[in-house]
Amino acid sequence: MSAHNHVEGHLPHEPEKATLEARNKILGFWLFLGAEVVLFGTLFAAFLALRHNIGDGPAAAELFQLPMIFAATMILLTSSLTSVFAVQAMHRHNKKSMVVWLIITILLGLGFLGLEIYEFWHYASEGHRFSTSAFSSSFYTLVGFHGAHVAFGVLWISLVIGQVFKKGLTVVTAPKVYISAMYWHFIDVVWVFIFTVVYLMGKVAG
Amino acid sequence: MSSNHNETASNELPKRHKVEGPQKHVVGFILSLALTIIAFAAVAAGEINETFTYIILVAMAVVQVIIQMAYWMHMKDRGHLFPIIGIIGGAIVVITMVIMALYWVWW
Amino acid sequence: MAAAHAHGHKVKRYSGLMDWLTTVDHKKIGILYLIAGLFFFLIGGLEAVIIRIQLLKPMNDVVAGDTFNELITMHGTTMIFLAAMPLLFALMNAVIPLQIGARDVAFPFLNSLGFWTFFFGGLLLNLSWFAGAVPDAGWTSYVPLAGEYYSSGHGVDYYVLGLQIAGIGTLLGGINFMATIINMRAPGMTFMRMPMFTWAIFITSALIVFAFPALTVGLVALMFDRLFNANFFDVANGGNGVLWEHIFWVFGHPEVYILILPAFGIISEVVSTFSRKRLFGYSSMVFATVLIAFLGFMVWAHHMFTTGLGPVANGLFSIATMLIAVPTGVKIFNWLFTLWGGSIRFNTASLFAIGFIPTFVMGGVTGVMLASAPADYQYHDTYFVVAHFHYVIVGGLVLGIFSGLHYWWPKMFGRVLNEKLGQVTFWTFFIGFHMTFFIQHFLGLLGMQRRVYTYLGGQGFDNMNFISTIGAFLMGIGTIAFVINIFITWAKPRNASNDPWEDGRSLEWTIPSPPPEYNFKQTPLVRGYDAWWKEKMEGKTAMTPAEPVGSIHMPSPSILPFFMSIGLFIAGFGFMYDHLIVAGAGLAITLVCMAIRSLVDDHGFHIEPEDQDKEVQA
Repeated sequence: MSAHNHVEGHLPHEPEKATLEARNKILGFWLFLGAEVVLFGTLFAAFLALRHNIGDGPAAAELFQLPMIFAATMILLTSSLTSVFAVQAMHRHNKKSMVVWLIITILLGLGFLGLEIYEFWHYASEGHRFSTSAFSSSFYTLVGFHGAHVAFGVLWISLVIGQVFKKGLTVVTAPKVYISAMYWHFIDVVWVFIFTVVYLMGKVAG
Repeated sequence: MSSNHNETASNELPKRHKVEGPQKHVVGFILSLALTIIAFAAVAAGEINETFTYIILVAMAVVQVIIQMAYWMHMKDRGHLFPIIGIIGGAIVVITMVIMALYWVWW
Repeated sequence: MAAAHAHGHKVKRYSGLMDWLTTVDHKKIGILYLIAGLFFFLIGGLEAVIIRIQLLKPMNDVVAGDTFNELITMHGTTMIFLAAMPLLFALMNAVIPLQIGARDVAFPFLNSLGFWTFFFGGLLLNLSWFAGAVPDAGWTSYVPLAGEYYSSGHGVDYYVLGLQIAGIGTLLGGINFMATIINMRAPGMTFMRMPMFTWAIFITSALIVFAFPALTVGLVALMFDRLFNANFFDVANGGNGVLWEHIFWVFGHPEVYILILPAFGIISEVVSTFSRKRLFGYSSMVFATVLIAFLGFMVWAHHMFTTGLGPVANGLFSIATMLIAVPTGVKIFNWLFTLWGGSIRFNTASLFAIGFIPTFVMGGVTGVMLASAPADYQYHDTYFVVAHFHYVIVGGLVLGIFSGLHYWWPKMFGRVLNEKLGQVTFWTFFIGFHMTFFIQHFLGLLGMQRRVYTYLGGQGFDNMNFISTIGAFLMGIGTIAFVINIFITWAKPRNASNDPWEDGRSLEWTIPSPPPEYNFKQTPLVRGYDAWWKEKMEGKTAMTPAEPVGSIHMPSPSILPFFMSIGLFIAGFGFMYDHLIVAGAGLAITLVCMAIRSLVDDHGFHIEPEDQDKEVQA
């Protein structure tokens, strides 16, 4: 909004916090993440309640392939690190480096999504479809919602990269980079719980 | 909405801030990696008692999340009181629900 | 209107209808919420009157059983989500930025988006009447009744999608007000110097942020079960019906605290203003409110005592529920001690507030009765429960809203509501309310069940139902008197002063009624709790400014929130009627608007000092 400070050479140290509007946005986004914690938490609670009701479908232990989940985890974890590097580049006012790290982040995100789409297609062919059982519905809803969040994040960061190209790194675009990175970290945090509760615990129960 | 006090921020003399290097974050990454590997290994090994495995998994996850949020999301830095309240508030609600869900299914 | 410039180019300023469709001004948004909320309140009230007419005498046949089920479902859903909450949002929007000395909320655009999603969600829900597919599974929409087998028509889909869309708006509003109160208080206003209404809204907003996502998940799960063959609640495939109850009530119980805490805040303001006395026990009020909110998340299963959770769970939830009576009691005593020794003025606003106190206590004590799990096995699904929640919601929340509306009306509209009509409103509504619902306690104790569309004569229910219905007519008259009051007052000249009650204690009474577009020409300096009262008692006639007169930066109006909500509205219909292309198109409209919002910078515009006094009539 109040973009009176377009001159890049005089960007403040933490450009994402330089205006009241930016600080409001960051605070507001943290509160939104608090709501997302409850959203995913409810999905987790429902999953935990229903995970043994496999109906006619395969059980978790026979379905999940740990190597692929490990790979997906590594990809997402690395992408979270690269987004940190992007924000640090932003603090050093190094626009080029920031954009490079952001591009790597979304490429990794796309890799994660590709793996997940393959995974779901594979499960469907094993008889584990959305409507198979209570377990399968809650699995696909929980993991699918997470995947949808990753997809949205990829789209969002792409738009932010586009904006930085067009308008440069300013006190208006910096908060956008920061907040999209916060979002990206958050979906990695959620993934930690997903691979633990859904995949690893699913394997143990078998 | 008025911009009362802060549009001038960028016109101040640059303060002497320590520009943070990547070190702490890379350490966070390596720790997260290690915790993930331990968790996967505990399951893949297959020989650990089931309850003990669950405890390891939950512990690894909780520690990893705390590391990621403290270092990568700056929650340990000053100025993050309300974010902490927000996340912990959400966590309390979730933990209550999860306890009830587990209790309900197991008893 | 004054010329508006941003970076040397004119910013479009709208007038008339377009002004209202594009506004991001919290004061106008508050008025929009008020109009919509009152409109839905009248619809919900009409539904209630028809319900009571049907129950006037045994074996009545004014409406058939299935229409009755639709009426009770729509009455509950409309009253809670489309009337009570929007009316609270109206007061929140109208008052909070003024009380903290701010010029608007933290996210004016989101504020507008919140209103329009609520509006279109409510519209979608009520279009069900015209589509001939009205939800009829109760406002709590329990499965399997609400599932795809027993409710195979589209009725419940209207419920699911209407609430989902309206709920987005509420969540956004919760985030908005939390951020506003945290970041935008005037200098000198520490947390412990905030007015009690602001505290109440702050905590309510936290409740909204943590409770609404659970509803989102529940509605998604029900939608997936109904539209996409999921099995969350389908027992045949491993689902569980009680899971719905858990998820719904994890949301539903905090929701009732979302409804009542703002009313508590209003009562604190009105009682202290019209006793000309500082609120008794401010810190304990704050602490009690926080405790009520926290405990409110730990008690949801008291709506499920009879579902077989077992004695341990029932016992724990019973105790937690009874505990909430303690901080609530603290608040009641604090109000009484505020009134005691005060110089009390009786007018419509204070009558509603004073009437609230014993009425809410009555509702609260029946709540403690219901909290006892073994006793609840007798009360559950009888009119005793209906009496309890109407006492706390209508006798609590609605009386509080009427009080707040009469109190802040001059600030919002520049005119004081007619006092004689206000008295008519109060007395008819108050007496009618007690007539309607006090007697329902006994109906419940005698064994009359809930949600029955008629009853056999000779069970002892007849006279009581008759009296209850007459009471409902009285409430209707009171409501009509209020609506007439609004129109009569609208015709009067706009001549209220800054502080029309002359006893205002907080910052909203330091600026014109209604305020100029920018609220405060200069942000005030706050030196204590009851900031304005403090200055008045020291002989000052205005607040000390905390900044010089200068150019005031305002956010630009935008039509995007309106279109985003229309997109969701279209998507809702697409999902319901199985036209996924339409659903996709609706979602695309919303997403494209979001992208536009992100890509096109909003520079806002400025109001220069020479134009600031011209803007006094916003």
